[in-house]
Amino acid sequence: MTDATQEDLQDKRNLLDRLLPRWSVGQWLFATICLILCLWVLLPIYLLVLSAFSPRDAVFAWPKAYLPFDISTDTIAFFFGVRGVFSAFLNSVMVAALTMVISIGLGAPAGYALARFRFRGKDSFRLLIVMTRAFPIAILALPLTVTFIKLGLYDTVFGVALVHSALALPFAVLISSSLFMGIPFELEEAAWTMGCTRFQAFWRVVMPIATPGLAAAAIFAFVISWNEVFAATILTLQHPTLTAFLLTTLSESPLYFRFAGGFFLVVPALVFIFAVRKYLFSMWGIANR
Amino acid sequence: MKTMLKTGLSAAAVSTLLFAGYPASAETIFLSTQARPIEEAEAMRNTVLGAFDGEVDYIPQEDGPFLNRILAEAEAGDVSIGLVGALHGNFPVLAGADALAPVDDIMSSLGDRKLIGTFVELGKLGTDKQHYVPWMQASYVMAANREALQYLPEGADVMALTYDQLAAWSANIQAATGERKLGFPAGRKGLMHRFFQGYLYPSFTDSVVTEYRGEKASAMWASFRDLWKTVNPRSTSYDFMQEPLLAGEVWVAFDHTARLMDAFNQRPDDFIAFPAPAGPEGRGFMPVVAGLAVPANGPDRAAAAKLIDYMTQPETQIATLKAIGFFPAIEMELPDDLPRGVQIAGAAVTAQSASADANPSLLPVGLGDKGREFNKVFMDTFQLIVLRNADIDETLDRQAGNLRKLMEETGAPCWAPDEPSDGACPVK
Repeated sequence: MTDATQEDLQDKRNLLDRLLPRWSVGQWLFATICLILCLWVLLPIYLLVLSAFSPRDAVFAWPKAYLPFDISTDTIAFFFGVRGVFSAFLNSVMVAALTMVISIGLGAPAGYALARFRFRGKDSFRLLIVMTRAFPIAILALPLTVTFIKLGLYDTVFGVALVHSALALPFAVLISSSLFMGIPFELEEAAWTMGCTRFQAFWRVVMPIATPGLAAAAIFAFVISWNEVFAATILTLQHPTLTAFLLTTLSESPLYFRFAGGFFLVVPALVFIFAVRKYLFSMWGIANR
Repeated sequence: MKTMLKTGLSAAAVSTLLFAGYPASAETIFLSTQARPIEEAEAMRNTVLGAFDGEVDYIPQEDGPFLNRILAEAEAGDVSIGLVGALHGNFPVLAGADALAPVDDIMSSLGDRKLIGTFVELGKLGTDKQHYVPWMQASYVMAANREALQYLPEGADVMALTYDQLAAWSANIQAATGERKLGFPAGRKGLMHRFFQGYLYPSFTDSVVTEYRGEKASAMWASFRDLWKTVNPRSTSYDFMQEPLLAGEVWVAFDHTARLMDAFNQRPDDFIAFPAPAGPEGRGFMPVVAGLAVPANGPDRAAAAKLIDYMTQPETQIATLKAIGFFPAIEMELPDDLPRGVQIAGAAVTAQSASADANPSLLPVGLGDKGREFNKVFMDTFQLIVLRNADIDETLDRQAGNLRKLMEETGAPCWAPDEPSDGACPVK
């Protein structure tokens, strides 16, 4: 009898050993922190999705159902029916894409210059770049709108993209300059000695190494543009971006619409980031080196 | 690098060609601060404006961007907005910047409609020109969960409450449930200042500005501070009372009818609406009026006039009521087939304005762009006295000084319930 109990205990211990990996305390701590960080990000998104697909009364119910027992697509379906949502979505995509192009097109050369050349006022230039973020766009609202109307940029996708590029440029410049700094100058010099011109060396040697990082900076610009509300709201009238279109109406809509709207705004950005995540990781790889 | 720059620039240029060239549209742009929640905006577009013979793009916007846009277009001299709809309080700013074209001619073409006289007068903004045509009205009422009714103090009629009875009721609820279930919209976007301006002050002092401080005002703030002990402390984060009502956090609440409508519509059998309580000086209440105006140098004045004509027709007014819960700005009989929520709120609005002790208070007039500062005086006093427990008389003395300064700066004469004044409304 005692033997049997002993065997049982032994079995249980084996079972535990099999189920749980043999980790040191540090590893367990690391895993726990990872888990907490993941939950920190994923739990709100999970609840958002859950509420977006719940029937309307369930949103107000307490205690909440934490598992998707009761699925309803009413609220989400309403969004697809709202006039203007689809064109606003297209506008958002176009603005974000343009912002990416402009901010990388201008930011990468600036970053390269900061990384490779010495010139007078380099440090103040670096500071100036960050300074552009120091002026709250809210105080510029009226003059900006007046100027845009006069220039004919008001209520156009390109106009909004310009403002978003101004917001994204500092990051594009700083990310790309640290990126180019991380690429050894000797590689370029070696290419020169082998007969490359300055530009060829840049294009054939530096660019292939820098592409993933630049892509990451581009993603950053995309996300900044996608999330920006204020400029998009004041500079568009009939052609708003999705964020401008939804946010002005959402903040005062009933709770279930806010969840559905949040879902509507989050998903495209998530899909985009998933699509390009390998570039993001490689940027961090370079930054760590 | 040059090529890259070139690629970037040419891409930008191509996109300009591709995306910037939207065709100029013949439709009238109707910019409004009302019906912003997404469902209401859709209802405006599809139901209310659906039957209009012409193209309208209805764009709801928050007050900030709304004002910014109209002012910017006026300043740039390139106006694309055909018609604006907003609450009374937004018009003085626009009229002050000469961004509005007076609508006297349009007004006189609406001869057969009985627009409510008080609102027409408000629409002149204290000048001799008509700046907006009254569009629709609403008011603030109380709402209660039916479960709360069993705790009403003895002898109290919910349709004719007093502030003392409200306090007793709220205390009863707290004693029975252990929770503070009276709620006010004192959040950042809530409309609590209107409660002080249109409800509490008129009910206790028969004034909004003149009697800002004094015995009556002190007694009023003392009793409101007492009442606050039974108010849900989360009230300072509530913007729309329909949400805490639906969630059951709050059983009795004060708010704008449009901000309670969702509760009445979703669970009409669980909620009732009733008039605001009465104080020693009567049942203070504030009608809210929204108006339609035409921007100066707008693209198509005739189209705007046609749209105003359409919006003020009885059928459209009923459609608007059904869609967004604002009541007609013309004198007319309401039909019987209204949605439950509108019926519930409508009964309370009617009972409130028709009550024997009614003491109507108008929206502030003549404050120009100082409306926000005017509201801030009331909210600051509330925060100091009620939330931070400051000395009442001392606070009122100081805030009365701020108020006096504001009134003198704007030179706004008194409005009801204060006695009419020559020049700036005095603060005692």
